[in-house]
Amino acid sequence: MITVEQRTEFRKHFRYNVGRRLVLDKIVKCMVFVCVLVAIVPLIAILVNVFSNGASALSWEFLTQVPGAVGSDDPGGIGPAIQGTLVLIGLSSLIGVPVGVMGGIFLSEYGNNRYGRTVRFFNDVLAEFPTIVIGVFTFVLIVLTFGDFSVWAGSFALSIIMLPIIMRTTEESLKLVPVTYREAGYALGIRRWKVVFTIVLSSARSGLITGILLSVARIAGETAPLVFTILGSSQFIQDFSGPVDALPLRIWRLSSLPYDSAVAQGWGGAFILIIIVLSINIGVRYLFLHKKGQTLIKFKKLGSIS
Amino acid sequence: MTRLIDPHLSNLSEMMKQMCDLSVRCTNLAIDAYLGGQNARKEVHTLSSQMMDLYDKVGELTFDMILRYQPVASDFRLIRSSLEISYGFTRLGRYAYDITLVRDTFGDLSDCKNEVIYTLSGEIKQMVRLAVECFATLDLEKAKELRTDEDLVDKYYNKHLPMLITLNNVKCALADALVLRYMERMADHAAFVGDSVSYIVTGARTYH
Amino acid sequence: MMETMTKVPLKDNSTEDIKYKLIAENISASYDGIVTVKNVSMKFRDRAVTALIGPSGCGKTTFLRCLNRMHELTKNATLTGKVLLDGEDLYSNKVDPIINRRKIGMVFQKPNPFPTMSIYDNVACGLKLNGVKDKKIIDEVVEGCLKMASLWNEVKGDLKKPGMSLSGGQQQRLCIARALAIQPEVLLMDEPASALDPIATQKIEEMIQELKKEYTIIIVTHNMQQATRVSDYTGFMYLGDLVEFGETKQIFENPRNEITAKYVQGQFG
Repeated sequence: MITVEQRTEFRKHFRYNVGRRLVLDKIVKCMVFVCVLVAIVPLIAILVNVFSNGASALSWEFLTQVPGAVGSDDPGGIGPAIQGTLVLIGLSSLIGVPVGVMGGIFLSEYGNNRYGRTVRFFNDVLAEFPTIVIGVFTFVLIVLTFGDFSVWAGSFALSIIMLPIIMRTTEESLKLVPVTYREAGYALGIRRWKVVFTIVLSSARSGLITGILLSVARIAGETAPLVFTILGSSQFIQDFSGPVDALPLRIWRLSSLPYDSAVAQGWGGAFILIIIVLSINIGVRYLFLHKKGQTLIKFKKLGSIS
Repeated sequence: MTRLIDPHLSNLSEMMKQMCDLSVRCTNLAIDAYLGGQNARKEVHTLSSQMMDLYDKVGELTFDMILRYQPVASDFRLIRSSLEISYGFTRLGRYAYDITLVRDTFGDLSDCKNEVIYTLSGEIKQMVRLAVECFATLDLEKAKELRTDEDLVDKYYNKHLPMLITLNNVKCALADALVLRYMERMADHAAFVGDSVSYIVTGARTYH
Repeated sequence: MMETMTKVPLKDNSTEDIKYKLIAENISASYDGIVTVKNVSMKFRDRAVTALIGPSGCGKTTFLRCLNRMHELTKNATLTGKVLLDGEDLYSNKVDPIINRRKIGMVFQKPNPFPTMSIYDNVACGLKLNGVKDKKIIDEVVEGCLKMASLWNEVKGDLKKPGMSLSGGQQQRLCIARALAIQPEVLLMDEPASALDPIATQKIEEMIQELKKEYTIIIVTHNMQQATRVSDYTGFMYLGDLVEFGETKQIFENPRNEITAKYVQGQFG
């Protein structure tokens, strides 16, 4: 037992120079704030830069028309590129999301063994793969086999890129769902796969959506794999088995041209690309995650739990 | 590690010890005084009231423990029995006082023969001492002995009480009747102590 | 101390035929190589509440999970023995464990209503995912179960509220309603009130007394006063063994085993 005298003795050893600590506290707070600014400044700078440079090229024709002849008076628009990007993202997601989510479910629910570890390892390797290599691989596999650049090839390459991201985030989100919910499901006599697909998956919804959106944003901006797989074109899509245009490709090509109007169009394209990615993000989040005041409840519960 | 209830249990044990002590002294004093022809009413009264005080305190303590600690198993049985036994001791004190009152009320009883009382008195004193030891050591053998002793006392009482009708001296007859009665009750309560001790040890209740 | 311990046989006082709903015979279980339940046999009487008490780590939760075949879902779990429900062995190869879990419902220690579902959906979940499609029947069952769990009056105004918006005690009652929805015959409860405040605990205990008129209830608790309030029979487990089993009054007033007496009086170190 610590006596009263001992307590007074021990208290003498504490530092009572509170003033210094308050100052230190403020300094650290400032440093942290500054770091945050340093992190945000490039983002804002890019957005401002892109907007200011690209705003001049924005117009309805810009968004909907085909590109005109290079260097001519009527530079046209990037309509096919926008269409191409949207189609490519959509098709890749159709391939990549189900496969990735199922893979993530496998790893999280059934993958605590050597087999699962191997799959996880290869998944991590694939996630770090240089995308240009993936592009070349797709070139050999699809373009050369079928004889033409196509939307299929582009989607295939992009889905390979988005697959490991989705698998990894799905696995992590599912693992975050407490075991107790699975057990409650089993105790109700529900079969394992039903428990996973109804209870666990819906609980991990927000993590899953975040992962998918992350990967969509990633592939929307990938240029290297598109070079070898879609070739690029100046027409709207007529046939999925032919070449198609996409925004990153178009931006790259426009920016390399020596004409000012082309460069301005490149900036405009970049701006459009950012807008597309942002709106997909915000739109999907709003649709899926703000149902019936769910997030408010979640924050309330987080507060009460912690 | 001491449980929260332990200090209270030792407090209870202290009080019970005091009551045991008092009941032995009470009994011996009352019976010896009666047989020796002295009036010990005041002393026995003091001892008896002390026992009543202790009984109240024991009651307070036991119900306090039940309220606060919800005792179970042997703790519970000990507490329940302590309450019953302390009541028994107060009855012993009461009857001891009643015996001294006989001397006090009836005055001089030197011409009474007292043989019956004399024989029984030894047995009663022995039974009270046995009851106290039984509770102190929680000895089942002693509890059994108390029951058999009580049987004997009952038989003796039933045999000798009617015989008092034949006595010529009314005063002696009445005095003997009263004292016999009180002693028989004291034997009963001593035996009840044995029953309570048996409950503490085995958990079996004796119903009368 | 262990060697002097004797296994106390079940005492059948009455001469009438006592109906045992659930009988566990020679259950031994382990996980990760550690044996947690050593050859435990118990009989659970129909329409009665049986409590399992014992210090932490004595195997009572593992034993409970053996009764509805939840133990085999634990990693590296092994189990031997038989569990007879109305005479039928739950562990025989012919029986599907999923079907058994519908006959024996379970309520867990920490309330765990499904977070993404409303109150109605939580209770109906077991029904819907087990193939019940008739909305009228589901409505009836949901209302009945919420009434049995003494929650109906508090939530009937808005059944579509998220399950997580209820208080802790209400959430636990919701979980009980959810377990009752699949029409089990036996209800297993693993320390159902340990995470709750006294008033919520009291409501759960009162509810158990009501439920025992229709169900056989087995409750694991580390609160001995709860066991005395709520149960008819009590089993005391220590280090994986069943040390003593009997009527609650007898266990707490006059335990026959020395270790039981020490434990119920709080004399464990």
